[in-house]
Amino acid sequence: MIKEMTKVQIVGPKTHRDRCIEILHELSIMQIETVLEEKEGFLKKVPVEKEKLEEKKRLEKIREALTELLSVLPTPSSVAPPLRLKKQHIYEEFERLAPLMERAKALYREQEELKEELEMVSRYEHLLRGFVPLVTALGGLKNIEITGLVVDRTVPDVLKLLEEELKRLTKGAYEFHSKVIDEDTIAVVITYQKKYSPQIRHIILGEGIDEIRLPQDYREMPLFEALKEMLKKKMVLPERIEYIKRELETISQTHRHLLEGLKRAVEDAIDEIEVLYYFAESRFLFIIEGWVPADRVDHLERELKGEFKEDVLVQVLEPAAEELDRVPVYIENPPYIRPFEIFLRALPPPKYGSVDPTPYVALFFPTFFGLIVGDVGYGLVVLGAGQFIKRRWKEREFIKNAGVVLSLCGVSAIVFGILFGEFFGTLPEKLGFHPLFERMEGLKLFMLFTLGIGIVHTTLGFTIGGLNLIKRGRTKKALEKFTSLILTLVIILMVAAAYNYIPEGLLTPLVVVFIAGVALLLWLEGVVGPLELVRSVGGILSYVRIMAVGTSSVVMAVVADRMAGMSASILTGILVASLIHLLNIFMTFISPVIQSMRLQYVEFMGRFYEGGGRLYRPFSRR
Amino acid sequence: MEKGLIAIAAALAVGLSALGTGLAQSKIGSAACGALTERPELSGTMIILLAIPETMVLLGFVIAYLILG
Repeated sequence: MIKEMTKVQIVGPKTHRDRCIEILHELSIMQIETVLEEKEGFLKKVPVEKEKLEEKKRLEKIREALTELLSVLPTPSSVAPPLRLKKQHIYEEFERLAPLMERAKALYREQEELKEELEMVSRYEHLLRGFVPLVTALGGLKNIEITGLVVDRTVPDVLKLLEEELKRLTKGAYEFHSKVIDEDTIAVVITYQKKYSPQIRHIILGEGIDEIRLPQDYREMPLFEALKEMLKKKMVLPERIEYIKRELETISQTHRHLLEGLKRAVEDAIDEIEVLYYFAESRFLFIIEGWVPADRVDHLERELKGEFKEDVLVQVLEPAAEELDRVPVYIENPPYIRPFEIFLRALPPPKYGSVDPTPYVALFFPTFFGLIVGDVGYGLVVLGAGQFIKRRWKEREFIKNAGVVLSLCGVSAIVFGILFGEFFGTLPEKLGFHPLFERMEGLKLFMLFTLGIGIVHTTLGFTIGGLNLIKRGRTKKALEKFTSLILTLVIILMVAAAYNYIPEGLLTPLVVVFIAGVALLLWLEGVVGPLELVRSVGGILSYVRIMAVGTSSVVMAVVADRMAGMSASILTGILVASLIHLLNIFMTFISPVIQSMRLQYVEFMGRFYEGGGRLYRPFSRR
Repeated sequence: MEKGLIAIAAALAVGLSALGTGLAQSKIGSAACGALTERPELSGTMIILLAIPETMVLLGFVIAYLILG
């Protein structure tokens, strides 16, 4: 439900301001708002003091350093929760941790550089592998130039031409070695006297052959030395990288809780300075305004009185009419309903004063799911999956809540499964168990039942919406809602009378009510009103999906069982049945969830849900 | 003859409304995919939008049921 909020104003002498902020921060119940300036009066917005702004700058620098460090430290599998640090200890702790932070940063930088170098050396790996044996054989000769080339194998005769040119230029004083590296490339090493170097390079360029370009760091070295160095690096670097990684992990394991605690303390301290922008001050007083849940105002008063006696006053303000749309929305439900708040995530927050649909969704969503699935076996699978999700992701609130909702859906499916006598299809019936209600046999009755649910659900939606509008003084809108509801019900009753489900004699009075209702609706809403009626009636009829999707699910299960029975071997039968059941279970996780969700969102919440609210975010510690 | 016509009528009621639903869902689906690449947080709303045209096939189903008596 949406809790009632009260606007409060706190007034006190400036000397108590900072302590008052600390108390409000600790209490975490007040959403602080900007105090409006008085043009003529004594109340003015004053700029935040210089020393506070300087402190904020210092804190922001610390926060930046901590954020940067935490982003480079690996996340350990288990770590102690962040340490709770007091504001007064921030600078002291930061100084104490500075050497460690420097070391971690240096290690990280080195790790990155080494990784980059390793990656670069690895890019030359295939060349290294091709060249090393050749270069090793030729190494150590003075006045001899060694050139490494990469030749495209697909171009014919290049090697032959190159060798002929070399022979001509050096008069046979050269060595030519080649090695196939992969299907496209041949590595070639040529050695010749240094004096022939310019001509040979000219030929290489002319033939369009790529000379091996070494990385920047190795460019000054002779090819042989460079390749040897790169090979050495390739052996050594991984070991060093691994060592740094372990070191960083150790730092993270032992200090992460402290670093995170410090970061939180810094962020809290920054918040306590930033909140000053919302305040107003006179010469001697400070003024804070904001929203507090109505049932916590006493608590706030008690706490401030306990600290400041009568020096700081808390007064309840009457919000101005234009402020009513800006009242923060605080949704609080009992623990067993709270998981269903996840359904509000897909919508904008509800408006203050409107209705929180969570308790109703908590009742209807699992019920519809259970009615659609209605199978003990499938229900057990859904329950198991829900429990698994809840335990596996217990730290992630949204997923954990989805697990709880799924578990309750599983329970509902089990309950309706018992009612329908279904356990992985109609197995219990074959074993002599007689269900209370057989879905496959009583399709018509089941259809009428789902339509009945539609009528109840939609009527409830309209009624909640209408009553809420009356409570908020919007009588005309409420009248529109109730007229629409009555007309929708009248249309359904007229159809029922036409098909003799109710006495035919009622048809005439129903038609009279219908005409009068349409006239009223036309007057209230214009042409849109009667058009909306079509949607409402269509909406109620669409509840038949509970029966339709449910029946398709049970038919699938029955098919699985029958196919198993038709098989000659028991093993194949079990396998076929399991496969079809698996497919059906998979569908069970999707279709009934979507259908049930759709009925909640469109047919039910659509009748009263008003979005556009602003969520309550109290001034609280991180 | 009459029985056959009734069956055809029922089949048309379900079949045509299913086609309509499919057509609507294909358009919503492709638009939803586009929107979700920009704003993944809209996934809940998109699922709902995708499920809305299903009403048509369900109404077709109800009509077919009424035709078949």
